[in-house]
Amino acid sequence: MSGALLLQVSHVSKSFPGVRALTDVSMTLHAGSIHALLGENGAGKSTLIKIITGLHHPDSGDVMVNGEVRRFANPRQAAAAGIGVVHQERNLVTRFSVGENIMLERLGRHALSSIDYGAIHTEASKWLRLLDLDVDPRLPVSRLSVAQMQLVEIGKALSLQSRVLLLDEPTASLTQNETRVLFAVLRKLAQDGVAICFVSHKLEEVFEICDTVTVLRDGRNACDSQPLKGLVRGDVVKMMIGREEQIARRAPRPRTDVAPYLELTDFASSAGHTDINLTVRPGEIVGLYGLVGAGRSELAKAILGMSRKTGGELRIAGRAVNISSPADALHQHGIGYVSEDRKQEGLILLHSVLGNAGITVWRKLANTLGLLRDRSVIDHTGPVLKKLEVKTPSMHQVIGNLSGGNQQKVSVAKWIAAGVKLLIIDEPSVGIDIKTKAYLHDLIHELAEQGTAILLITSDMPEMVDVADRIVVMSGFRIRGEVENDRNYDRISRAIMSHIHDSAAA
Amino acid sequence: MTDLKLIGGEDTAFLPDARPSLAQRLLFSNEFGLLLLIGLAIAIFSVSLPSFTSTFSLFTMGRQIGIDTMIGLAMMTVIVTGGLDLSVGAIGVCSAMFFGWMLQSAGLPVALAIPLAIAFGAGLGFINGVTIVRTGVHSFIITLASMSIFFGVMIFLSKAEAFNSLPPAVLGFGKLRIGTLVSSLLALSLATSVALSILYRFTSGGRRMLAAGANPRAAEISGVRTGRVFIACHMLAGGLAALAGLMVTARTGAAVPAMAGHLGQDWLLPAFLAPVLGGTLLSGGRVAVFGTLLGAALVNIITSGLLQMRVGEFWIQAFLGMLLLAAVLADRARHTLLRRKGMI
Repeated sequence: MSGALLLQVSHVSKSFPGVRALTDVSMTLHAGSIHALLGENGAGKSTLIKIITGLHHPDSGDVMVNGEVRRFANPRQAAAAGIGVVHQERNLVTRFSVGENIMLERLGRHALSSIDYGAIHTEASKWLRLLDLDVDPRLPVSRLSVAQMQLVEIGKALSLQSRVLLLDEPTASLTQNETRVLFAVLRKLAQDGVAICFVSHKLEEVFEICDTVTVLRDGRNACDSQPLKGLVRGDVVKMMIGREEQIARRAPRPRTDVAPYLELTDFASSAGHTDINLTVRPGEIVGLYGLVGAGRSELAKAILGMSRKTGGELRIAGRAVNISSPADALHQHGIGYVSEDRKQEGLILLHSVLGNAGITVWRKLANTLGLLRDRSVIDHTGPVLKKLEVKTPSMHQVIGNLSGGNQQKVSVAKWIAAGVKLLIIDEPSVGIDIKTKAYLHDLIHELAEQGTAILLITSDMPEMVDVADRIVVMSGFRIRGEVENDRNYDRISRAIMSHIHDSAAA
Repeated sequence: MTDLKLIGGEDTAFLPDARPSLAQRLLFSNEFGLLLLIGLAIAIFSVSLPSFTSTFSLFTMGRQIGIDTMIGLAMMTVIVTGGLDLSVGAIGVCSAMFFGWMLQSAGLPVALAIPLAIAFGAGLGFINGVTIVRTGVHSFIITLASMSIFFGVMIFLSKAEAFNSLPPAVLGFGKLRIGTLVSSLLALSLATSVALSILYRFTSGGRRMLAAGANPRAAEISGVRTGRVFIACHMLAGGLAALAGLMVTARTGAAVPAMAGHLGQDWLLPAFLAPVLGGTLLSGGRVAVFGTLLGAALVNIITSGLLQMRVGEFWIQAFLGMLLLAAVLADRARHTLLRRKGMI
């Protein structure tokens, strides 16, 4: 398994103002090996990757490539040394073609040299073939699926002759099938002698594909490049969170038959939904399952009034209503939405914890002159933040400085502070560590117990089975069926998949 | 702040209070840097120019600082949205001309004409705001167009003639001093700065403006009507621009179509210089109200110092251009720093 030593990180430390991100961290990557880099949010994984690629510079310690100490001034130098990276965020120019994106750094020798599109697309198709990606290199990236974009990014990294490939949560937005394809590609690359570093929160995947593992906890090595063989899931989790994982096996909850809070009848929207029939009762957790592109987040936004209702009826607490904006949804009807895209839609990263947690209650707390005191916002949101165990040095801390898990807690907290009656939660655990994930699941249950109606959107099947009371399956902007959740994972995942495949066949 | 630590759990030690102490924040703030530069400029000019610290010189400087601050604040209220308003000058002149017409031709009392002129400016800002929000076109293009339209219509209606027999109270206000040094116009800008600080810091409306400016999508989903908020920002800018126009009118005692140059363009440099020097983030969502005041002060102290040293006006223009460029580079640096820290 262990080929030549390609990349070695040795005793690296890094501090940011007020935060010690990495302390004495080491990791080694060998040719032909797929190495898992694990840790909870805020453990320092991303910082480590940024140090390897020259985006950050270590305060102390070294990064060695082929046994030679290197200090990259920027990611381009790292790429030239054979280190390719695919970040969590997409970095493609969506209006350019697949080929242009893959060859973006080598479109021509200088700014005015004419571009040989034939050569570019031939070269690009070589990498697409290697990745088993059957798309025309002349197609604009905007026409690809999320998974295909992911593969194009990997192709781009590989085309730079990368001997070391760093993948930061590459499967976060992929379906099981797409993940399988990606893994086949990664195995092939490893056989060809590439060293791969794989960052993921999904331990099942790690055990499936990785052979060695480095775990970070609070910016330190909980283990340094250890073979994965002989370890079990529990061992890894223990290293990540510093204690045993508590497996929450929830009993199915009794069905409520109170009148529904949200009721959609033959609902259609300008986003493209048709014949949507859906009810969510107070105290009920309804899961909305579907593959990426099924129209689930779009349905949430249609309920919030962000796209127009074009047919059918939307009833809130039994009354047919028209919701014209999220402001309407929140202030008139008590509907909140935790977005899957925390950075773009969920939070205002530039502003403080207080500014984010209080945004939903400003209107309520302001006096007739519109005057608003920090004190009253703190009184209102503080208890919720405290209950959710948000870890922040102060309410005035800029939220962009908090870890992903804490950010997510704040983006849920603001709706709890507003006392919403219906909370739509979209992919609550994307990029969230195990501890926070379990915590959020408990919280969702507690909210339901207190009578909040909950619509849970998730692509994470175990999460769905663990949390939802019943599961509504969506594809192609329609409802395809419903599955009563008895927490029997195998039966439910089969039932869900059959709903999706039936609709695909029809 | 210590009581708030309760929010953190046992692991808080891992994330020490990244918020520096009050003294540290003051020391590293943009405002402190500006104060140092202002002190330096005053020191240099008062040594080399004996007349620089004369009562008259300080009074006129303060008066101009007052006007430029108001112009800068007008632009700042739109920069908050992440946009800009090229028509501040045009709105200022149009409102001032409307003011002159109300007093001279319509014979309205000053006490009524002032609020009407400000409302008129806000109305022009409303036109800007609605057009920008409805079309989704960048404010640069919309306000470039409205600048020409407002100014053109004003020239047509006024036949490019000034209103120069205004009631003496107007000029009287412009000459008014508080104590021996402080111009009434500077005091007005100070009061406006205080009011804007209260708006952004202590009102839900102001916070909505900052939230919508920093991240419109997140704000919208959190129940902020961002469209309305942006329109309100443009109305505020229009009202403040009108106020600046009235201040210029009070200084000269007449409402003149050319008081801010062709299309009101002479205001653009001070309009951007003051807020950007002051530390208002060009990408929106963060203001520096008193920074704007200090920015305007620095610009005017240097300008009038150089003028008294008989440096040619065109050199001063070039110098101000370079100062703006330096301020924009500082803004970029701030932006990069914020992104590094993951705040954007």
